[in-house]
Amino acid sequence: MNSLLASAVAGLSAGGAYAILGVCAVFTYRLVAVVNFTGAAIGAAGTFVMVTLYESGYPLAIGVPAGIAAGALVATWIGIVMTTWFAGASASTKAAVTAALLVGIIAVGLRLTGGQHPHSFPELVTGSAFRFAGVEVTRASLLTLAIAVVFTLVTEQFLARTRTGLQLRALSLRPMAAELIGIRVRLLALCVWAVVGAVTSFALMVIAPLRSPDFMSLSLLVVPALAAALIGAFTSFRAALIGGLMIGIIEGVASGLDTFSQYRGAIPFLVILAVLLWSQRGARWDEAR
Amino acid sequence: MKHASLHAALKTASALAIIAGLAVLALPNYWVFLITAVFIVGVALQSLGLVTGRTGMISLCQMSFAGVGAWVTGYLNVAEFPGGLVVWVLVGGLAAVPVGVVIGLPALRLRGINLAIVTLGFAAAFDTVLATITFPGQTSFTQVARPAPFESDKGYFLFIMLVYGLIAVALEFVNRSRLGASWLAVRHSERAAAAHGVSIAHAKLSAFAISAFIAGISGGLLAGYLGTLVAENFNMMQSLVLFAVATMVGAHFTLGAIAGGLMITLFPELLRRVGLPQDVGNVFFAVGAVQALSSGETMSETWGRLGSKLLPRRAGKTSAKPPPPLAAPSVHAQGLALEVNGLTVRYGNVIALDKVSLAVPARTVVGLIGPNGAGKSTTVDAIAGFLPRYEGSIKLAGRPLEGLSATARAKAGIRRTWQTTRIAPELTVGEYMRLAAAGIKPGEIEAVLEWFDCPSPETVIATVDAGTRRLIDVAGVVAARPPVLLLDEPAAGQSYAEALKLGERIAAVPEKFGSAVLLIEHDMDLVRRACSAITVFDFGRLIAQGTPQAALGSAIVQKAYMGIEPEERVA
Amino acid sequence: MTSLDIKGLVVNRSGIPIVRGIDLSARGGEISVVLGSNGAGKTTTLEGISGIIPAAGEVLLDGENIAGANAGTRARRGLRHVEQGRTVFAEMTVEENLAVALHPSANLDEAYALFPELVQRRGVNAGMLSGGEQQMLVIARALVGRPKVVLIDEMSSGLAPVIVSRLMSAVRTLADDGMAVVLVEQFATLALAIGNRAYVLRRGEIVYDGGCQALVRDPARLHALYLGEAGQAA
Repeated sequence: MNSLLASAVAGLSAGGAYAILGVCAVFTYRLVAVVNFTGAAIGAAGTFVMVTLYESGYPLAIGVPAGIAAGALVATWIGIVMTTWFAGASASTKAAVTAALLVGIIAVGLRLTGGQHPHSFPELVTGSAFRFAGVEVTRASLLTLAIAVVFTLVTEQFLARTRTGLQLRALSLRPMAAELIGIRVRLLALCVWAVVGAVTSFALMVIAPLRSPDFMSLSLLVVPALAAALIGAFTSFRAALIGGLMIGIIEGVASGLDTFSQYRGAIPFLVILAVLLWSQRGARWDEAR
Repeated sequence: MKHASLHAALKTASALAIIAGLAVLALPNYWVFLITAVFIVGVALQSLGLVTGRTGMISLCQMSFAGVGAWVTGYLNVAEFPGGLVVWVLVGGLAAVPVGVVIGLPALRLRGINLAIVTLGFAAAFDTVLATITFPGQTSFTQVARPAPFESDKGYFLFIMLVYGLIAVALEFVNRSRLGASWLAVRHSERAAAAHGVSIAHAKLSAFAISAFIAGISGGLLAGYLGTLVAENFNMMQSLVLFAVATMVGAHFTLGAIAGGLMITLFPELLRRVGLPQDVGNVFFAVGAVQALSSGETMSETWGRLGSKLLPRRAGKTSAKPPPPLAAPSVHAQGLALEVNGLTVRYGNVIALDKVSLAVPARTVVGLIGPNGAGKSTTVDAIAGFLPRYEGSIKLAGRPLEGLSATARAKAGIRRTWQTTRIAPELTVGEYMRLAAAGIKPGEIEAVLEWFDCPSPETVIATVDAGTRRLIDVAGVVAARPPVLLLDEPAAGQSYAEALKLGERIAAVPEKFGSAVLLIEHDMDLVRRACSAITVFDFGRLIAQGTPQAALGSAIVQKAYMGIEPEERVA
Repeated sequence: MTSLDIKGLVVNRSGIPIVRGIDLSARGGEISVVLGSNGAGKTTTLEGISGIIPAAGEVLLDGENIAGANAGTRARRGLRHVEQGRTVFAEMTVEENLAVALHPSANLDEAYALFPELVQRRGVNAGMLSGGEQQMLVIARALVGRPKVVLIDEMSSGLAPVIVSRLMSAVRTLADDGMAVVLVEQFATLALAIGNRAYVLRRGEIVYDGGCQALVRDPARLHALYLGEAGQAA
């Protein structure tokens, strides 16, 4: 029993990461109407900029902000592609575009980071925060959790209370009507992309040391991220948050069970399948997403 | 059009035979070995082209299907299953079919993004599973045995060309069949496909099943090519690259699949030779895919367009002999062809239709008119089965339609057109006519097209102007000769003169084809010309019925249209 | 004084010519009414003017051709398009709907002065409003953006006559305040009563261009334009 709990807690840090990425996926879909397959790859780019700076001797105080800025830049670049050529495209075309871009970003990323070549990932936060029922809860996992929760709450408040938030909501509800009342739709969309890039970059920096930290594995975290976003039906931040955590915990538990441990990578797929079959049971025709 | 399929198939087969012969005779072993991979990848690309390019369902797990085929082939090899590679590859392809169908099942209700997520999730899951169970013979380095006459690299190349040719030729036939047309129709608009009596579930699942089968075969072929396999041959990244390349080149075209195979196989070789890192190729594929998506035109289409500019085709063969006359009108039941009673439709709290009734007698044209928001299109949707629920009854020749899907209603004899044209632009006029009117004879296609002044059957829809597409739209459903036709604003966007001409043709449809027509139209002159009776709706209610002259002249209709009381007018 | 002049507007919708080269004008303080039966191209005309769909021809706002600008830029230049179908931001409150469109020099009271009905609904989600209230909201939302020109599309569709008259008088107020209004309507009488200049469209072409009053005085002509031969015969 205790070992099961230990593996569940071990899944918490991954769960926190999935939650952030999932919330970011919802954020992107709600505000700029793109299901973004490059979500995690953007974060990976930012993370590796930080690692490169760290390896060349720069302090983290420079490396971390530079990495975050790089992530924001990459995301903005994708935003420019989307708003320039695909503003009026269907959601499905936009998704195909990000899937294609993912191929390119991973290729560039692997090239620049030397493929599977090991990097020394600095642990931004180290050590154990506290023991819970005899299980170590690391600070890193607490931090990812905290980022996920704070980002969710701040986003909700920002959208509810600020003028820019109001404009973003208008944009997400009716892009054309928003444009027709003079809202600077493109500028706002690029800001959304930049924020997504910054947040995912920071999140991946925190958890990168806990994963197999090559560019491709980090980029492919997009699968559990999209599973989490699906749990939130691409609308609810909180459901995506909880969904991401749950996927992480289930994975943790599965890796604690000998028979399943090697198959834990299949869990996001099972979650996706279950959520879709359930949520789409009444939908018909092309209008379904 | 068996003729066209045969022609294309022969062209493909002879082209492949020439390539195979030249390669074997002229190229050194090393290059033959490389080119073999081109066509194995080409098979995988064809499978993806079918499901994504033709049917419009994003699949990001095509190499996982290939992996299933490869694994089964490897297993049968280790188990020394009788029959050799040919049988193993076939079994491998068949083994991928149920996997494809299971992945396709969620696609029955969803498409686009959600399907992309499911398939990417499956690719990730398959990676994990494959990494764990490993390929049969991987650890013992057991080579997959090639079939006896094709053991050498050149021999295996010929074997691959043979398989590639078989698949390509089979696809030429399938793509030109009604099933192939239904895939394009589903990609373009599921509703329109259903309105032609196409079963969406059948179209999607068949696409996934055939696609997975072909992908599975490509995996088995790869097993024979490389001898031993590792999980990385089929990982998620491979699927993503395949997707990007297929999107870029247009893998559902014969030329596209080969071009894509060339790029995937030879690009790394080329880059290696010029001393560039090999993964630059993937960046190129990504950019190319984005470019194709933004222009809406794949490389194959671009080449085709440029090619046809350079070599202008002989202007569409002007058949010397006049088309055969129209067949005799179909005979449907007498009495009321269509009967709607007490139809009520609610959207939330809004009542779109409130207990409306209308009747269309056999072999007549009845007009349905009314101002904006009167509920005309809702009525058509209800009759054709596109609303999840409604109250009241709808009868086709006395037979109630409640409980029947849109596809079933279309098959039962209710055909409709849409306010905007929904014909898949990749189809030819003839293919569209066969999709709309299943089992129609070639002579009859020409006769109907001639009667409507439409372009010849070989014309590709994409090259036809939008006004003519609307005519083809109508010609298709009319050619099906159903008991009931629902035409939703067929003259929208046409000039006044064109609209009147169309009105005359619609008026003649019952006599020439035997169908009854319910016509929604705003142009009152057209209505007057085409209809023997009209029904007028306003705010979801029936406000007038009768001959066009009487109904349009009535006070209540004039008020509905202009908000003018007749008294005011007189005053 | 504000002026909007459209010259040679051609708009295609998925390749089909819907608007076939029309000229149209509106002046500050005036209402230009655009009439025509369904499918005549009224909505498409407005969409071409506001930049929702690409169009050929000139769109002169105070003499300057803005046809090259996108919809957002045209909006910020002072063009407001009130689309048909009451495009409220459904999951935002009435007040938020107005606040998001507020020009720095305007304030919400102007909106509430035009439509006092909205005051007590200010905290309600716009999706919960009645059709009439939603129509008021989108007109008010245009007003607080301080536009020079307002294009209003089919505001009366599906609404009770009493509400339509209420909306019509509010639109007259907008014009009286100096804005140029282009009012697209299917229901001719009420629109002609408040309008200055009238255009009638048929299959994408203008078949009448003249004063509103002339049409009001000649109903037989109006009927002919709408219902074809039957109107003339009646």
